[in-house]
Amino acid sequence: MATAALAAQSPARASSGLTAVEGIKVGHHTLTERPTGCTVILVDGDAVGGVSQRGGAPGTRETDLLNPLNMVDKVNAVVLSGGSAFGLEAATGTVRWLEEHNIGWPAGPSKVPIVPAAILFDLGVGGNPKVRPTADCGYKAAEAATAGPVQEGTVGAGAGATVGKLGGANKSMKSGLGTASISLPNGLVVAAIVAVNAVGDVIDPANGHVVAGVRNPDGTLADARKILRAGGTMQRPRAGENTTIGLVATNARLTKALATRMALMADDGYARAISPSHTNGDGDTIFSLATGRWDGNADITTIGALAAEAMADAVVRAATQATSVAGIPAARDLKR
Amino acid sequence: MMFVAQPFRAARAAPVAQPFRAAAASGRPKGLRYKAPGRPKGLRYNAPGRPKGLRYKAPGGPKGLRYKCLFGLAMVGLASSAPANDTLTAIRGIRVGHYTLVERPTGCTVILVDRGAVAGIAQRGAAPGTRETDRLHPTNAADRVDAIVLSGGSAFGLDAANGAARWLDERRAGVATNGARVPIVPAAVLIDLWVGGKPLVRPAADCGYRAAANATVRPVAEGSVGAGAGATVGKLLGRDRAMKGGIGSASVTLANGLQVAAIVAVNALGDIVDPHSGAVVAGARGDDGSFADARRLLRSGATTVLSSLPAENTTIAVVATNARLTQAQATGLAQMADAGYARAIVPVHTIADGDTVFALATGSWRGTADVTTIGALAADAVAAAIVRAVRQATTAGGVLAVRDLPQ
Repeated sequence: MATAALAAQSPARASSGLTAVEGIKVGHHTLTERPTGCTVILVDGDAVGGVSQRGGAPGTRETDLLNPLNMVDKVNAVVLSGGSAFGLEAATGTVRWLEEHNIGWPAGPSKVPIVPAAILFDLGVGGNPKVRPTADCGYKAAEAATAGPVQEGTVGAGAGATVGKLGGANKSMKSGLGTASISLPNGLVVAAIVAVNAVGDVIDPANGHVVAGVRNPDGTLADARKILRAGGTMQRPRAGENTTIGLVATNARLTKALATRMALMADDGYARAISPSHTNGDGDTIFSLATGRWDGNADITTIGALAAEAMADAVVRAATQATSVAGIPAARDLKR
Repeated sequence: MMFVAQPFRAARAAPVAQPFRAAAASGRPKGLRYKAPGRPKGLRYNAPGRPKGLRYKAPGGPKGLRYKCLFGLAMVGLASSAPANDTLTAIRGIRVGHYTLVERPTGCTVILVDRGAVAGIAQRGAAPGTRETDRLHPTNAADRVDAIVLSGGSAFGLDAANGAARWLDERRAGVATNGARVPIVPAAVLIDLWVGGKPLVRPAADCGYRAAANATVRPVAEGSVGAGAGATVGKLLGRDRAMKGGIGSASVTLANGLQVAAIVAVNALGDIVDPHSGAVVAGARGDDGSFADARRLLRSGATTVLSSLPAENTTIAVVATNARLTQAQATGLAQMADAGYARAIVPVHTIADGDTVFALATGSWRGTADVTTIGALAADAVAAAIVRAVRQATTAGGVLAVRDLPQ
């Protein structure tokens, strides 16, 4: 686990993951026909939201709404989904679930649920590409959401996620969904959840080692950084095969602009734990939520820096908690 | 070779070379000093028919060698064989010049591009000081830029770009407009006014002019020079616990000819971390003088309200490649290069950092490489340059450099 040594030396408590932030619930729904699914992050009430979108091949919805210049500053849920752009439909199911529970932005006679979403590209994994998360998936994931510990690995939006694709899909490894949180003694909580489906390798920033990534013909890790520097044969990352999507949350009170800064800083967790990151073939996106339930005093640099730390931890956990699927080995099954 | 040569150069370049260069610049005709004897004026950099001027910078060409030898002997006293260049100037058509003020540790660095380059930008820190960055937006006029200026002196330092523009104007470089050529000179500043006790001393237009006149294709001087002269890092526990930053450069050359290189003036709030090991290279020091480790500080909750102000930080960089890119691709290159900041600086992109990365694509290489490869190598080069910046830095303005840490 990234920076576990650092965490162990600090008085901060280890905790369950994203749901360590009070008022945040997480639910997965994983399809059975093919490894894919969706993950819904539900906000009890609402939270201020932001987004950082830096990869070259994104698939998103309601991200313009999150621009700090625009009006609506509250979010009711965020959906992370597999299934490529088709998976955006999952958010429709979450909207339906929220409307049934009378949750949303007041707009005249009705309440309109605000549900940003991002997808990752997993159609090539595990068989029939026609199998994709639909509105039903988003509805069921919302229904399944709890405040308990978050299930990690090959589940939800991470069910079909893979990493280490610089050598092509047949040298890739299984990744999945990970989560991590940091709770300070003064009550500040910052947490992250991420579905890691990167072109690049997953790196543990605490020691620079590859956790999961492109493999040599003998099955050992090749190290994307070495391949790139050597000018070695590599396949151009293709849009439609990648994208890492995540969310960071805090119990601090932030404006919409500061929530945007938090998402932007959390993005440094991608850069540290994924190499290369933010490529032309990745639609890397991070949402942020600030519930404002904690009245303490912390500046955005602290919150953003902790969000980057939690995000890097969560990326590493996504790789270490994944299980092998469809012939794609996970780190835990790697030949050493 | 480089790792031997750089500390020597970093230590010597500013005090020895600068007065000489300054004299050359003020006692014009400018540029004559660094031209090979007997060179026809028509070959001058940026004169009409500029392509010819490239000949004397061709790596390995006879004139290029002579030029380097003259410089090596006259300026630094290096042996006549030029060292392998693993800095930004490894890329053909790119020259770098520093000018370092003597009154206070501050200065500026000018990156000159022969015949211009396609450019992009990633601006992700919250407290930037920049000029001509709107022009680099992919939807705006797709001009080639003639130079980029990195400067100390906070927002005052943006004036340095005016001097570089004047130097270029005198050489008739720039975008052709109705009646005149207009030099396109994006710039970014870092905030170093508190270092060295004389905040009224700042790089002005004169600094940018002289740095442009100083620009050469030789390996870039690193450490406490140019835009890095007043740079500091590791300010999570306040100025007293900070360490000296500086300017660093690194390059990657692949067997197929693709080159990617970076130059970074490192003036971060955060610590500098070597991404290969995760170890702190320079950063905030604890009570006993050892590294406190910003990651540990942040996770412990020791610093939930930071002492550093926005007026004390900002890391600014240029990455360059010899590949041919569109303006949108150059923007993607800058964005990916920015990952080098995240890997080598912790924390980074804070509310108190104006972190900015420019990207240049000269297009002199005709091979094929996608933006992912170029951007990944750029991130690597940026991270390597950041680590070099603090390792090559020398103690200045009372701020301790890594090399002066008690072992």
